[in-house]
Amino acid sequence: MDHAQAQATFSDYVDGTLPPAQREAVDQHLSACIQCRTELAGFRKTVGSLGRLKQAAPVNLLGDIKQQIYKRSRGRFFAPRWKLFGRIPFEWVSLATIIAMLVYYIAMLHGAPAGVRPAP
Amino acid sequence: MSLAERLLISRLRERDEQAFGEIVRTYGDKVFSLIYRMLGNRQEAEDVAQDVFITVFKTIESFRGEAKFSTWLLRIAANHSKNRIKHLARRPTEGVDPEDVSQVRLSADRPAPPVQAHIDAPDKLMEAAEIEALMQRAIAALDEDQRLLVVLRDVEEMSYQEIGEITGLPEGTIKSRLHRARMAIKEELDKHTR
Repeated sequence: MDHAQAQATFSDYVDGTLPPAQREAVDQHLSACIQCRTELAGFRKTVGSLGRLKQAAPVNLLGDIKQQIYKRSRGRFFAPRWKLFGRIPFEWVSLATIIAMLVYYIAMLHGAPAGVRPAP
Repeated sequence: MSLAERLLISRLRERDEQAFGEIVRTYGDKVFSLIYRMLGNRQEAEDVAQDVFITVFKTIESFRGEAKFSTWLLRIAANHSKNRIKHLARRPTEGVDPEDVSQVRLSADRPAPPVQAHIDAPDKLMEAAEIEALMQRAIAALDEDQRLLVVLRDVEEMSYQEIGEITGLPEGTIKSRLHRARMAIKEELDKHTR
């Protein structure tokens, strides 16, 4: 095994996922190669340091998200639902009202009430 | 998926505000940490984390329970982070936080200060902050796919199976890309610690 072959196994070696026979071959190479031992130590240190980069969420994250949701949904996101029919479909109710008003308006413009005759 | 998780999701579908709070409290740190390490900017990470949770609550109906909830959530966080990186790449002046030392990109004309210069400093906190900034810059120098793998595996310490479920990549691909990413980070750190 040469340096490049040994160093190509470092991730599996550090993760402990190298098959036993291959691990033995790497160990043999490491016992005789100070350069790869140094490289492996640096590699292990790098991977270990990455594990210390966890970052806690800001304490106000929940509050900020709720504020965003209230703002975007105008308070309707968490509004209580109807027991039988789920959430009130405000958008559809508004649309149906507009259509009904439009139909009524057109009917008033063009249609004469039934049974009413124009005056002679 | 555990019974407790199923109940929590069912309450979430009912738009139960308390369930919503439990989800943010349970997964907030993991989601924020992933996004922060992907973007390297606290303010951007806060905005994206908020968007991720809002997306989760808006699309919870589409969660069919085939994967773990945490996997589904982190997949959304990963996609949002990648989209944000692309967005910021198109608008390089956005997302630059002058207070955030990790934002300073490594470049030949502006090398980072060597860590050795701070090793003897009495303030250990300062030294830790310098090393963290160096690590963050080394992560930021990776492409977004490698960055995600490093964050999921080495920062969040997830299994290869979980990473596969989040990224949709086979284990062999994850391992080879992760190895290249780790070597690249090590090389960047070596430049500044020699």
